[in-house]
Amino acid sequence: MGRLEGPPAEGVRELYPFLYEGRADLEAVLAEACRSTEEKAAEIVRLRWQVAEASADALMECAGEMALRFASGGRLFAFGNGGSSTDAQEVATAFLHPPCGLSLPALSLTSDVAVVTALSNDVGFDVVFARQLAALGRHGDIAVGLSTSGGSANVVRAFEEATRRGMLTIGLAGDEGGRLAELDLLDYLFVIPSSSVHRIQEAQTTVYHVLWELTQHALGAVPAP
Amino acid sequence: MSVTSTMQVAVSEAFARRDRAARALAEDSGRIARACQDMAVRFRHGGKLIVFGNGGGGTDAAHIAVEFMHPVIVGKRALPAIALSNDAATVSGVGNRDGLAETFAHQVHRWADPADMALGISRDGRCENVLRGLEMAKTLGLFTFALAGGDGGPLARSPAADHVLTVASDDPAVVKEIHVTAYHVLWELVHVFYEQPGPPGDATPGGTSGEAAR
Repeated sequence: MGRLEGPPAEGVRELYPFLYEGRADLEAVLAEACRSTEEKAAEIVRLRWQVAEASADALMECAGEMALRFASGGRLFAFGNGGSSTDAQEVATAFLHPPCGLSLPALSLTSDVAVVTALSNDVGFDVVFARQLAALGRHGDIAVGLSTSGGSANVVRAFEEATRRGMLTIGLAGDEGGRLAELDLLDYLFVIPSSSVHRIQEAQTTVYHVLWELTQHALGAVPAP
Repeated sequence: MSVTSTMQVAVSEAFARRDRAARALAEDSGRIARACQDMAVRFRHGGKLIVFGNGGGGTDAAHIAVEFMHPVIVGKRALPAIALSNDAATVSGVGNRDGLAETFAHQVHRWADPADMALGISRDGRCENVLRGLEMAKTLGLFTFALAGGDGGPLARSPAADHVLTVASDDPAVVKEIHVTAYHVLWELVHVFYEQPGPPGDATPGGTSGEAAR
């Protein structure tokens, strides 16, 4: 633990004594904040093991299928909304520009703001991913869609389009899987059994990282962690 | 070993690797709480959060910005945040003309107010432009925070970051996963401190709190 160099923030402390003067209730808030962090760290550890137990076989099989598609010239398309759009971007860059192993073709359908806003403005937000798959996707490609609720209409529409085009479809959802669980058209659906959006996103991150790692294994490009 | 059994080893090993790093996050609960306390004060002063990172770290920057701008929990106040790495035109433009090391520093220089906060993400602590961005932020009087990994690299040793949270793993995928939990907790605790009763943040922005910890 080092201390900052430079002037102490007397001004801030004078303005906000309730946040700094060690009032009993503030101490209690700090203690509660620490306890909350410890609880959340334990919660995500438990949740990851639950996912490992429930999905290890499906993850291996799914990665094997992804490797087959890539080996035959398939490409990966990832999509999601909000925080899940950043995961879609992470999935794409993990496959395209990995820290080790093979570089594989992958694209996030959330990265082209011109296309996303044009489709939203002219047609509707529900088609932003489906229309891109209709233009870019082909038989043998891979569609990875993320939705914490499992209910995002544009993700559902994208999977319907991906299925029509003969793509491998992989969904990541949370809680009980929402509409994605009712679809009955996905090749693989990984549902994170939690009601917390944050914990679901954290465990989904693990799911796609493990899928990436196992795909590299299946392609014989064993990454050295 | 058959392909199936090597895959089984790979999947168990992958989950075990995450377990160790995730448990260690609890040890940082004190410094996370203090950083959130400082950030809540800054937000009360009207400060905004400026986030940046490269590659996958750029997706985390975008995630953090949307977390604050559009909270998942209904009723939580939207707090101002921007992700510098989202501006592909400026990042590639500055990178092309002045070098990649200058990208975030350039953007911070133009965007930052003294009450703001800068959060830099680098999974190995070795991103020069993240370090330069934090140095620029520090010079301008911002609160600075770094999310790092591995041994923390030059980022963890630099005085430019008031707080550094280093995930002790050399696997960038694992580092990212712990970072996601860390910034989810960060967002939640900032709101806990922000909602404590007290005077409104209507005064002149001050300096840093001096509660440095790394």
